[in-house]
Amino acid sequence: MFELLGTALVHILQVKYLLPLFLGTLAGVIGGALPGVTITMTIIVALPFTFGLDPLQGLAAMAGLYVGGSAGGLVTAVLLGIPGTPSTVATTFDGYPMGRKEPGRALWLGIWGSFFGGMLGGVFLIFTTKPLAEFALAFGPWEYFSLFVLALSMVAGLVEASLVKALVSGFIGLIVTVLGNDPMLGGPRLTLGIPFLEGGIPFLPVLIGVFAFAQIMSEVEKSGGGGSMAPPVANAGSLKVSQLKVIGEILSRPFLLVWSAIIGVWIGVLPAIGGSAANIMAYDQAKKFSKHPEKFGTGIPEGIIASEAGNNANVGGSLVTIMAFGIPGDAVTAVMLGAMTIHGIQSGPLFIQQHPDIAYGIFAAYIVAHPIMVLILGLGARFAMRIMTIPKSTLFPIVLVLCVIGAFALDNSMDTVYVLLVFGVIGYLMVKAGFPLAPFILGAILGDQIEINLIRSIMTDPNPMLFITRPISGGLLLASVASVVFSLWQHRRTQRRLAAAATQPAPSDEDIADF
Amino acid sequence: MGRDTIAGLVVLVVSLVLFGLTFRIQSNPLVPVSPAFYPRLVLGATAVLSALMVAIDLVKRRRARPSPPNAKAAVAKPRYDMVALLFAIFAVYVLILPYLGFRIATVAFLAAMQYAMARPATARAWVVLALVALIATAATYYMFEVYLQVLLPRGRWTDF
Repeated sequence: MFELLGTALVHILQVKYLLPLFLGTLAGVIGGALPGVTITMTIIVALPFTFGLDPLQGLAAMAGLYVGGSAGGLVTAVLLGIPGTPSTVATTFDGYPMGRKEPGRALWLGIWGSFFGGMLGGVFLIFTTKPLAEFALAFGPWEYFSLFVLALSMVAGLVEASLVKALVSGFIGLIVTVLGNDPMLGGPRLTLGIPFLEGGIPFLPVLIGVFAFAQIMSEVEKSGGGGSMAPPVANAGSLKVSQLKVIGEILSRPFLLVWSAIIGVWIGVLPAIGGSAANIMAYDQAKKFSKHPEKFGTGIPEGIIASEAGNNANVGGSLVTIMAFGIPGDAVTAVMLGAMTIHGIQSGPLFIQQHPDIAYGIFAAYIVAHPIMVLILGLGARFAMRIMTIPKSTLFPIVLVLCVIGAFALDNSMDTVYVLLVFGVIGYLMVKAGFPLAPFILGAILGDQIEINLIRSIMTDPNPMLFITRPISGGLLLASVASVVFSLWQHRRTQRRLAAAATQPAPSDEDIADF
Repeated sequence: MGRDTIAGLVVLVVSLVLFGLTFRIQSNPLVPVSPAFYPRLVLGATAVLSALMVAIDLVKRRRARPSPPNAKAAVAKPRYDMVALLFAIFAVYVLILPYLGFRIATVAFLAAMQYAMARPATARAWVVLALVALIATAATYYMFEVYLQVLLPRGRWTDF
């Protein structure tokens, strides 16, 4: 393993790979720093730039983008109090109060917290992907089917919308995969008289259309087409700070760092949760374990370290899930999975065995992306703040052109661009109707695999009880049921709390001022 | 009718229509499981869930207390007009792309989108609009066609 990793590191450090990795990390940092532009969107926009590259070059760029995007959001979180991505929400709680007094310290605590958290996530990624992939090799179609059901039920249960609505969203995603093509025999079905559909609907234009339009049009609807993504830089304080002192501040809290990274990794491994939950849960745990929880929210280093370490360790965990099981953990990894497919990589249990050079290349790219991320954030934080003042009327049209190129370049056909347009409209309408997009995307990505494994299992043995009596499959289905029951319980509890809050007298202006 | 009711009914109708179409799918005698089996499973479950969504929304609305008349007064008015306009510009772009080619269509698209989103008020703003449209098109064209060797659409009418 170490020999393969060493060789991969030497490979990645060649200019041929280092350049796309650097550019990917830079794009990730910029995209992550732009409030309103998510990591998913950044990956979607950057994806077409990797089409002409060899698989490892393209995937190195994607790995850098993921690492850079996860960390980039802290710039605005700390200096403006606006989280650049949903996965840096908790960073603002202490980052911004500290950033108003000591912007350099707050920024660098976030940068180094991201670095150490991400590297701990990398250790997990490198050491567990192979054993987990070997474990997954024991899976039959029953287990895969149950695993996909678990992923869908978890994503449906964990989104903020109602469970039924989230499940409908997931099923709409599955409908996309039943149109046009039977994945078992390859024959046409439900083509609706459109010849292009005979090959099925390619999921990448679906993904690009749904996410890009949902985000851009929602932003335009909310605040019109003028203005920029963030206000001009107001915080002009010096960002200079003693690096050793900041690193010392982080490493003198080893329990906090490791525990936050474990939470991040664990949430990354679980299908469907993602960086935003990792960030908030790591912060919440740090507060619970702290001797002075009352100081959280006032600008203490623990709050920044925990949230950033958790958020960045999450990337390692998410990559384990796609590399070992071939299942996207969240929307970002769903796009990453798409990127791997485009570069001819079938991710899953056999991936690390069949393509060890690529798998260890991704590990190496992930590791090298971290010092690059530190370098970019350290040198370019102020520049990133300036990019945020680019008018929306300049940024959004260019993003849409890149989306068109991404869709067109898939098979040099305008048909995929029309799919992009249709699903752009559908994505926006789904957002307007209050459907969460994550279950839809997961359904659209996993649909074919769910069908293939269901049909294979029935053709192998038509006894449906095997889904329950086979231990791993039964366990996964039980976890799916538990996930649904838990989300129902959680929803009821929230409703009861809201009802109780509604019966309380409204707070006075003084109460609000105190808060 | 509430938002969830309308959305649920749309999904219900679509899933039922598609469910009906599954009966036209021909089975393969060599394969024991019909290609219509899984689509029916998915579409049937979607129909049931969307019907449930409609029912939940109707029950909730019946139980809900009416909100005060000025409860939504502070919310900014959504810019649906601009959203519709931008979708229309994008649709026109996509439709004319194969006829005008990437370079001409993209310059026009970028200029039209910028104009629609933030109308230039000064001569300088017009120059910026034109420069953004030209430079962004040239940059993407050279990046993809020349550097990354990704072919972009040529125009049937313009051959450009």
